Amino acid sequence: MKISRKVKVKNAAGLHTRPASYIVQILQGTLSSVYFTCRKEKVNAKSIMSLLTLAASKNSLITIDVEGEDAESIVGKLVEAFEKQFWEA
Amino acid sequence: MYHVKEFYEKYQETLSLSIITGKKGLSRPIRVPEAQRPGLSLSGYLKNYVNQRILILGTLEVSYIRDLEAKVREERVRGILTSKTPAVIIAGRYAPPQEIVAFCEENELPLFRTKLKTMDCLTRASFLLKEDFSPSMTCHGTLVEVFGVGVLIQGDSSIGKSEAALGLIERGHRLISDDVVKVKLREGPYLEGSGPELTRHLMEIRGIGIINVAHLYGAVCVRDDKKVDMAIKLEEWDDKRFYDRVGLEEKFCDLLGMKVPYHILPVKPGRDVVLLIETIALNHRLKEMGFNSAKDFNVRLLETISKKQGHARKMMSENIS
Repeated sequence: MKISRKVKVKNAAGLHTRPASYIVQILQGTLSSVYFTCRKEKVNAKSIMSLLTLAASKNSLITIDVEGEDAESIVGKLVEAFEKQFWEA
Repeated sequence: MYHVKEFYEKYQETLSLSIITGKKGLSRPIRVPEAQRPGLSLSGYLKNYVNQRILILGTLEVSYIRDLEAKVREERVRGILTSKTPAVIIAGRYAPPQEIVAFCEENELPLFRTKLKTMDCLTRASFLLKEDFSPSMTCHGTLVEVFGVGVLIQGDSSIGKSEAALGLIERGHRLISDDVVKVKLREGPYLEGSGPELTRHLMEIRGIGIINVAHLYGAVCVRDDKKVDMAIKLEEWDDKRFYDRVGLEEKFCDLLGMKVPYHILPVKPGRDVVLLIETIALNHRLKEMGFNSAKDFNVRLLETISKKQGHARKMMSENIS
């Protein structure tokens, strides 16, 4: 299954180390391939360093591309994390 | 889209550019990575004229325009300057001809001057444009320099790319980038890999976290960029799969249209990945020097076999007679 979804970084500090490690944690052990695209830069979301190179600030748009068996549940979790601002105030 | 503004801001100093007029035209796009001197087209011959190139005018062009009659001058200038011309550069500190200034002002075409000589300006501008237009890609992997060979280590997450790189660094090899490698096709052609500036010299090791290799092991262990000579893919060992046992066949992978030597390296406990990568890199160097261990051995083997066959034939014919 292949899913593509657009999300917005809503937390004030942007996609810094803590949210990035949270994303990597969600994706650990998943079967699908997950890619984030921000400002035309496409990176592997399972690698924390790749996510950090995006240096996505607040309000930047990220396209999530997931392909694989468990794509649906992954997208759900990721969208929730972005929506809830990674549980940061 | 690449605009004149970007070109100007980036190379203002390298090309010692200063803008004379047409500032509003800085938003004009540069569609082709080319610059040219107008040459024949200035004489009115406009067949096959490519109007998307940056124009560079030097001594010859400026003096030619000056020698023309006033009426013809404007016509010729209008012939070479079009709505698609990205910019005009007057080289060699010349004052631009009035007609050109007037045209550029009117049509918002950026007009620059430079103190560089015409040919210097032309070669530099062409080179810089080519570099900026060259294709590039970001790939997931780790780039290390092993015995002077640029090795791109690829493989799925958590296969041990970073650990292998760390082991290599510890043995005196160099890290270029971990996890994210930007590969660019350079003039030559060859592939150049580098890391994003933000995470330069940083590595993430599971169980430790983010470490700075340059701080830990010193400046000798890192490099900013390196030619990508080969790619090694780390894979989990699969008993059902047949792995290369001889090395006679050479595999290649495609990176930006370039053929890059490619090795698949199965990983399992007990296999020293660092040592194996070192060996592949050394073997690559040996091949570059003209020695191919597998091929050399095969030639020797074939010679021995044919000698034995000759011997057997001789024995047989002796027995018959």
